[in-house]
Amino acid sequence: MSKKPNQQPALHKVIMVGSGGVGKSALTLQFMYDEFVEDYEPTKADSYRKKVVLDGEEVQIDILDTAGQEDYAAIRDNYFRSGEGFLCVFSITEDESFQATQEFRDQILRVKNDENIPFLLVGNKSDLDEKRKVSLAEANARAQQWGVPYVETSAKTRDNVDKVGIFSLVV
Amino acid sequence: MADSGSKRIGAPDFNPEKYVKDLSQRCVGGQELQQQRQKIQSLADETNILLKKNVYQNYMQFIETAKEISHLESEMYQLSHMLTEQRSLLSTLATTSMLGDKIPSTVDSDGAAGSQGEGKEQKEEEENRRKLAAILEKVEGCVTLLETSGRTILHEGDLLELDPIENNALQRVHAYLFNDGYMIASWIPNRRGPVRYKFEAMYELGSLAVVNVRDMGSVKTAFKLLAFPDTRVFQCTNNQSKKEWLDKFEQAKKARLVQEQQKRESANPIERSPSRPSHSESLESPTNPFEDADDFSAEPELPEWLVEVPEDLDVCIAQRHFEEAYNLLKRAREFLDKNTNTDPVITDIRRKVEARVKALTEVLMKELEVSPDKSLQGGLPAARRAVRLLNQLGRSTQACDLFLKLCSCILKTQLKRVKREGATVLYMRQIGGIFFSNLTDMTREFLRAFLPHSPSCASAFVVWAGSELTHLTSHLIKQVFMPQSSITMLAECVTCVRSQCDQLCELGVDLRYQLDGLLRTPLTRALHDAREKLIDAVKLRAAEDKWHPMNLQCKAGLTKFLQEMSDIGIASIHTYVTGDCWLGLTANTVAFSKLYLTLVEDCLRLATPELLYTVDEVLSDVFKAQMLHVEASLSSDKYVAEMTLQSNADIHLLRNDNLLARNEYTVKLEGLNVYNMFLLLQSKFIQKNAAFLLDTLLTLAEHCYEEKIGNPCARLGRLRDEYSWLKKDSSTKRPNNSAVKPKDSSYAATGSHQRLLNAV
Repeated sequence: MSKKPNQQPALHKVIMVGSGGVGKSALTLQFMYDEFVEDYEPTKADSYRKKVVLDGEEVQIDILDTAGQEDYAAIRDNYFRSGEGFLCVFSITEDESFQATQEFRDQILRVKNDENIPFLLVGNKSDLDEKRKVSLAEANARAQQWGVPYVETSAKTRDNVDKVGIFSLVV
Repeated sequence: MADSGSKRIGAPDFNPEKYVKDLSQRCVGGQELQQQRQKIQSLADETNILLKKNVYQNYMQFIETAKEISHLESEMYQLSHMLTEQRSLLSTLATTSMLGDKIPSTVDSDGAAGSQGEGKEQKEEEENRRKLAAILEKVEGCVTLLETSGRTILHEGDLLELDPIENNALQRVHAYLFNDGYMIASWIPNRRGPVRYKFEAMYELGSLAVVNVRDMGSVKTAFKLLAFPDTRVFQCTNNQSKKEWLDKFEQAKKARLVQEQQKRESANPIERSPSRPSHSESLESPTNPFEDADDFSAEPELPEWLVEVPEDLDVCIAQRHFEEAYNLLKRAREFLDKNTNTDPVITDIRRKVEARVKALTEVLMKELEVSPDKSLQGGLPAARRAVRLLNQLGRSTQACDLFLKLCSCILKTQLKRVKREGATVLYMRQIGGIFFSNLTDMTREFLRAFLPHSPSCASAFVVWAGSELTHLTSHLIKQVFMPQSSITMLAECVTCVRSQCDQLCELGVDLRYQLDGLLRTPLTRALHDAREKLIDAVKLRAAEDKWHPMNLQCKAGLTKFLQEMSDIGIASIHTYVTGDCWLGLTANTVAFSKLYLTLVEDCLRLATPELLYTVDEVLSDVFKAQMLHVEASLSSDKYVAEMTLQSNADIHLLRNDNLLARNEYTVKLEGLNVYNMFLLLQSKFIQKNAAFLLDTLLTLAEHCYEEKIGNPCARLGRLRDEYSWLKKDSSTKRPNNSAVKPKDSSYAATGSHQRLLNAV
């Protein structure tokens, strides 16, 4: 799955995509700073950079946390173009956000023109299992169909948000 | 003969000499030659006529050709109009697809349709251009900046560009954010002149992803731009500046989004309607296009002319064929009124037609508008067309408003031409003449233009006329009603203006009452001034009055004087003549009579029912002043006389005998009594003057008054009653003696006594 670029300073550009309010930023912040932010404020577009050790090698991960609500398709395309791996996030409590992942996938494939682009389907908010709207089977089926892994996470409980965890999966 | 002659003359080898020779050989005698001559003459006439006819024919052809040419010209004009329209359409399309920016149409076919709103926009545009030009000066190589109109600058600042991967500093840049893009310019290290930066890149805002770079390690206060394939990182000097940049980006994007949405909404219906032109329909429909007229009422199909109405209207308005435009509008409206269905195409046409109505109205209103650079040469008739059409468009109120403004302007310029020179009366007459004749014309024009259509405008006209009149009178009051202007002059001016004003009555506009009302205050003041002046004059003359009979020096002088007096209405004065050139009245009395009669005449000319009270007052006050003088003279003399007579024993005798007897008698008396005698003589003379004033002058004044006003003047009547005792014998005292002021005139009286004494 991993597709390491041969650049000298190993820099991996990961892009968080998904509908608004599914927890992209929360996941990113949890990963970056090990903290959970309760307050919700729509992200415009934030970029983070972090050094991690991956397979015994120090690499830099550049995370672009995109806006769930971006009005310009052209701008969205520009986000996607700059990415090397994608984390497509949805909320398991919101079916709509799950449905939207299809659109994101299509768009990314269109822009990158590469079926094998590193891609990870993430069902966030797994701590809210009682409010679950998207079943595990459903999500798994879609991941299988796309040929990508599926992970359920909780930014709140840091479930599956491993230091390397999901992000290294992508790169 | 004539035929053969003409043939021969018309032949190509015609030799005039030979012809004449033949003719003279053939003809015998002068008679025959004369006939030949006549024939040739008639031939010449015929040829002339033929020639003329030919010219006429060519002339007609010439006219037709000219017509043809002008027709062609108009066609060319229409063609060029269509071409420019196409061009503007294309340029609009180009900008819409490229940047989605609004671009002001390069060719505004409606021309004058641009109103104040556009003007304001233009101002803003100007300001923007100025700002952009300033940037052009600073940044090298960004000449294209001005090419997109409507571009505005939102933010600018210095930034440090970082390497997107290494995060080390690359270069210093100056960045500009426009409403449609983001421009980066690098610093020129050793700059010369005003140019400081070099253009590097311009990113279109619609596809520029702005990413906030979270602070970490060495990289702080930075943001990233993703514009495929470039990724650029810029570092701001501090957090606040970064926040400002990000906010500005956000705002610009939002504003753009809103603008684009609006454009899409507004563009949609417009694009929809031309997509259904009648040409394609007639091509698609299997029926013969000529049969359209038959089945068009059955089907909702639109006639071709209707679809083209908006464009045709544009052309008509642009070519200033306003009548045509109006007819077209009327036709379209009639059609649309019949077709009440809500077919989008019809709705669209209806909307467009209404927009053209507005455009037409605006153009017409512009026609009527008064602007300093427009000549008023055409005057009101030039405005007829626009007014008529506006009326037909149902905009009479606006038309009326503009029309009246135009009138005001014309009036003003006309009045400005009148120079104040020479006599005031002349000036007044001229100004009044111009004002009222113009007003008459305007009234006629107004009646013609508005009354049949919109009688409601009449009130506006009345108000307007009133205000114009107020202007005029206030001007006149300033010019004419000055303290030094005489009442005679005023009377003449006012009568003149009044008579001019009365001319308007024929047209049903009576401004007389208003004029009188406006003049009332200044007139009252002027009348009071005149009264003061005359009373002062009376007092002055009284001080010098010696109660001497008037000496006219010679016979001729007397005749002249009598003539003068009968001219002013006092013919009966000849009864006062004594001797060859003596008049039994004082010069004071005569002068006063003249002045008073002039005053009476002027006052009566000025008098209106509202002013009557003032006139009465003035007339009676002036007369009373003179009577007071008479009374004072008389009583002071009597006062002296009585005082002396009391000490005299012969009081009785003096009182009862006739004057002559007394005279003879008193001559014999001592010096004191002689003096008293003269005093008595003088009293008689004063009484005579008083009688003249009261009986002749006042009666005449009253007569004039009654004749002019229609009813007798009560105040003058009262005055007569009050002073009638003065003309009676000196023994009769004034019934109420309290008002007598002997002090005033005693001095004058004593002076005259001395004179009398000396005379004797």
